[in-house]
Amino acid sequence: MTEFVDLDVRPTLRAGGEPFGEILGAVKALKPGQGLRLYATFEPVPLFHVLGSKGFSHEAREIGGGDWEVLFTPGPGAVADGELPVAAATPASDGEWPAPVQQMDNRDLEPPEPMVRILAATETMAKGEVLQALLCREPIFLFPELAKRGHGWRGAFEPDGTTYKVLIRIGAAAGATA
Amino acid sequence: MIGATLSRWTMSYFAAALIALIAAEGLMAAGFGFPAAPIEAPETLVVVHLVAIGWLGLLMCGALFQFVPVLVARPIHDNALPLPTLVCLVGGLAMLLLGFLQLAGRVTHGLPFFPAAVGLLVIGFILVAWNLGRTMWAARPLTLAARFVTVGLVAFGATVALGSVFALVLDGIATAGPLVDLTTLGIPVHAAAGLGGWLTLTAIGVSYRLLAMFMLAPELDRISSRAVLWLGTAALAVLIIGGVVAICHGGSLPLALSAAGLLAAASLGLYGNDILYLYRARKRRKIELNSRMAGAALISLAVCIALAVVLIVLGRLGEQIGAVVFLFSFGWLTGLGLGKLYKIVAFVTWLETYGPVLGKTPTPRVQDLVVEPRAIKWFWLYFAAVYVATAALIADTPLITRLAASAMLIATCGIVAQLVRTRCLLDVVDKLRLPAGVRRPQLLYATPRQT
Repeated sequence: MTEFVDLDVRPTLRAGGEPFGEILGAVKALKPGQGLRLYATFEPVPLFHVLGSKGFSHEAREIGGGDWEVLFTPGPGAVADGELPVAAATPASDGEWPAPVQQMDNRDLEPPEPMVRILAATETMAKGEVLQALLCREPIFLFPELAKRGHGWRGAFEPDGTTYKVLIRIGAAAGATA
Repeated sequence: MIGATLSRWTMSYFAAALIALIAAEGLMAAGFGFPAAPIEAPETLVVVHLVAIGWLGLLMCGALFQFVPVLVARPIHDNALPLPTLVCLVGGLAMLLLGFLQLAGRVTHGLPFFPAAVGLLVIGFILVAWNLGRTMWAARPLTLAARFVTVGLVAFGATVALGSVFALVLDGIATAGPLVDLTTLGIPVHAAAGLGGWLTLTAIGVSYRLLAMFMLAPELDRISSRAVLWLGTAALAVLIIGGVVAICHGGSLPLALSAAGLLAAASLGLYGNDILYLYRARKRRKIELNSRMAGAALISLAVCIALAVVLIVLGRLGEQIGAVVFLFSFGWLTGLGLGKLYKIVAFVTWLETYGPVLGKTPTPRVQDLVVEPRAIKWFWLYFAAVYVATAALIADTPLITRLAASAMLIATCGIVAQLVRTRCLLDVVDKLRLPAGVRRPQLLYATPRQT
């Protein structure tokens, strides 16, 4: 029987915060064989991929009021020491990213205009700087292009479920999403 | 990596599909098969399978290899597998057509074309289902659109299984009583599982996502769109399980078909309502060619259902089923397919060609790769010809049917010419066409670039 450690990121999310560092910290603190019970204000789909690549399977259910409970259960290959997956940000950029120097709202642009604008902006920015963009859907075709150019990213739907916020850090090697 | 990349062989699928469509329209224009021959004649089956497997099936497979990764935000399980899959599907189709020609006495070789067709098509199906299934399996829980695709793949499997039984019975290999009964009576189940289950349910699922994306409308995951899926799945279950049980155990096949038809009609009604909702909720005021053609295809679907209802009331559905299936295949599925193809080819070509240099140098926009006013004339000619052909089929005037099929053929060639121009970047202004660092795309495949 897996023992689960509880983590409730709903207060962080409601305060407009970014719980990714908090979640990874909790995963890192898990003892071998322990799982994570996460409470969030939306179904954290991108997190499934991130923790899935660390060997965790997930079971998500809506618990009312739009909130979700997700059980992350470690598989045989789960990374107990909390190492980030291959495609994750470097330790220097883990958790603490500087405030965005540029923000754009691309929600009303027709695809692929949001991607064009974001890539154009990244070309004008210095290494380590962060760009924030609001979109109306997950930018599926943007991510491979960011990876090729060596930028890091984090993205997730906002609690409203319709706005997708992505943070892009120039030259941060590769992306993690949460 | 999270995200979707370009499907390497999708353009090859599209090219093979369009060649099959042109061949089928050419045969219809030449008066080969229905209505000159009976609807169950081998000649008709050649045209039908050229359209169903060659055109619609390959088009759908090629599109799914590109868009299932978009629906589930994961890369395709295996980007190289679609090529051997295509070889199996095209080879299997060729064997099947030769088998029908053998049946008609037009090919006199005694080669076992039907068993070869069954082997190749079954392998082709397994490869498609494996690749897409693994891609979606990695992305559980599934989005609504991906669940439509899953049910569509199940229907695809059922269609292939029934078709395999028919082919083996026709070849004389299978002789068991229930299998022979299935072959004599099961054609409506096979056809409805293919056109209604596999092609229509999958198209509905993908269209929810693509129409929302291209019209800048909210993603739909409301009760009505789930009901479309459940009712459609129920219709399929009643059709396939009920139909097969009725045939093999002496139940009422018309009862199973009618029950499935009612469930399907309810599902399609809700779907039409959802699309109207998307259309009204869209943020993009200008409607592009692909969405207008999707609208024309949906209207054809509605006309098709209305036509079927009128014929049922008049008690004449049996004698006019050819016209109904024709309008369903060419007005709805082909109309939607050609319209979406026009957008997909432009978008995929744009992404492949200019993606690597976006933001680094001036690049054309997606809409700079196409000239819609020129293309739309061919699309209207196509739809007009489909309606004339449908009317001519109902009125039983074969010469007009052939003339209308010729017009469809000309319109399709016109549309294909636009697609080739787009793929070759011929409509992009010279100074933007090939900036430094950009390679001209290959006509038939995509070259993923690693930098």
